[in-house]
Amino acid sequence: MYLTREEESILTGEEGAGPQRAMELLVAVGKIYDADQLVPITSAHLSGVSYKTIGEGGLDFLREMALDAKVKVDTTLNPAGMDLQRWREMGVEESFATRQLQIIDAYSSLGVRTNCTCTPYFDGNNPKMGEHVAWAESSALSFINSMAGARTNREGGPGALAAAIIGKTPHYGLHLKENRAPTMLVKVEGAKDTHDLSLVGHAVGQKVGGGIPYFTGIRPGIDGLKAMAAAMAASGSVAMFHVEHTTPEHRDFDLSGLERIEIGKEEMARVRESLTTGKEPDLIALGCPHLSEFELKALASYLDCKRRRDGPEVWFCTSRSALLKCPKERLVLEGFGKVLTDTCMIVAPIERNHQCTGCNSTKACTYLPSLCSQKVVCADQRQLLEMVL
Amino acid sequence: MIMRGRSIARGRATATLLLLDRPFSFLGGVDVHSGMLSSTSGAEGAVISETVFAFPIGKGSTVGSYTLLQMKREGTLPAAMINRRAEPIVATGAVMAGVPLVDSIELGLLRSGDRVTVDGDEGTVELHDLAENRVVTCIVTYRGKMLLLKRSQEVRTNKGLWAGVSGYIENDEAPEETAQKEVREETGIEGAKLMKVGKVQSIRAEGRIWQVHPFLFEASTDKVRIDWEHTEYRWIEPDRADEFDTVPGLRRVLDALK
Repeated sequence: MYLTREEESILTGEEGAGPQRAMELLVAVGKIYDADQLVPITSAHLSGVSYKTIGEGGLDFLREMALDAKVKVDTTLNPAGMDLQRWREMGVEESFATRQLQIIDAYSSLGVRTNCTCTPYFDGNNPKMGEHVAWAESSALSFINSMAGARTNREGGPGALAAAIIGKTPHYGLHLKENRAPTMLVKVEGAKDTHDLSLVGHAVGQKVGGGIPYFTGIRPGIDGLKAMAAAMAASGSVAMFHVEHTTPEHRDFDLSGLERIEIGKEEMARVRESLTTGKEPDLIALGCPHLSEFELKALASYLDCKRRRDGPEVWFCTSRSALLKCPKERLVLEGFGKVLTDTCMIVAPIERNHQCTGCNSTKACTYLPSLCSQKVVCADQRQLLEMVL
Repeated sequence: MIMRGRSIARGRATATLLLLDRPFSFLGGVDVHSGMLSSTSGAEGAVISETVFAFPIGKGSTVGSYTLLQMKREGTLPAAMINRRAEPIVATGAVMAGVPLVDSIELGLLRSGDRVTVDGDEGTVELHDLAENRVVTCIVTYRGKMLLLKRSQEVRTNKGLWAGVSGYIENDEAPEETAQKEVREETGIEGAKLMKVGKVQSIRAEGRIWQVHPFLFEASTDKVRIDWEHTEYRWIEPDRADEFDTVPGLRRVLDALK
């Protein structure tokens, strides 16, 4: 990989140990993928935030980096293991909370915005068509590749942090237009809402693996696309997809000769059944990915004037920025459950207090058993909420 | 012997090698407190701490990068790592935790227990305490058939196995000279025409490394006069070579001459 004189000098440590380590990371990844050079980025989004995931070793690393490194581009942060203010109400232990807040502090001293959401594109980190970026968080990066036409590979947390510190990332993979072409055509029938699109995404991710699907038969809105991106990144390793008449690069490639598959009602039902391993949730968790302003408003208008009965605890997981725009709706939702920011049902240590979680997101339903030891009920939002109405 | 690969994470260390034959995930593959491998690794109970840990490629969750950081904290890190092909999870963990990592290394030449030095700055792996021999292997053909010779009981190595014409390269000898000489001596064929020189193949057998220089000759006759080194010979169709009990690495020599 070609390095400029300036990049070489960072690699030899002339700007300090933190930038040096960041450059070493970029060079290592660049070599692995035969990148020709580093390319400047306009933004970054980092995973590796929850204390549950990165542990003491991760905290050590961040503190070491923060000694002499700062991010050079707008950089946002994935959800943490708890609501940064209301962690006590979540049943999070003091020892966990202390370490979690130290992780957030370390990111903050690196110059990272500590809003903690998996939907940073609703919070001002919204790169435009053709911009190179370095994003971790599989659902967010797939969304930004597909819906915005920005260009990122599937970064890990440390790789994205290194790119943010250097302001550059290795030039390979999805940074090159020719690697953004569809690899499979997917005709969808009968997907009527966001939950259906999540089920479709799960089925397609299983079939396409790391490929790039091209969808016909759907016209998803922003929230639908966000659900699909999350679903396909969890069941497969999809980093980008196209939707006919919807995503900005759908016209740019030749579709002839591609494998074709069809996904309909039966397949959606199969996915829902395969993900359901429990019967009676003691927690209903909505907001994977984080609920948007539109989704918060729709939920509030559905629940307004209804009455909650006993039943499972309910979580509405969202971003601080979306919640700020919904003060009235927040009051409505608080009547039914906790409105949490900065965190979600996957990265929070919910296994301490819950055994069975109901969720409408196939991504969450995929990870809940392994990462949170949960039994799962996969169902749409309305079915889940009816358990407490 | 020094093997050249690519530098992935810098630093240098010398230690005893632990070799895995399958892809490895740090998340779930190792106990961070003891450095002991779990059952999923294929070498349950082996301890990777302080070793040069070699495995073909990393796999599994990206959280595996943080596992290496946790091992750093616990003092259970390997001294260095070798991969056939590095991937980002292990590479990232290695850079973050400061473990030298070299990739693009032929693991077939390594054995657990070898003493090796990994140089992550130069991208090299040095094998200590292992004798190295330079030899030629000559495939002689005549009108589409190739010559296989059965090694006698008098020779030092690979007794009784089928082989091409072969011999040690003397110190000041050019490999091609050795090749010409051995063909003459072992087959009695004069004036065989050199057709091709293959890339040198490193082969580990009988406790040493063989640097094998492959040569292809076309003979002008199929009349062979063997010497004491062989007891039998056959002219065979080249694709039948695998039916014979041959010396290690003959297939690789044949492939190198394709």
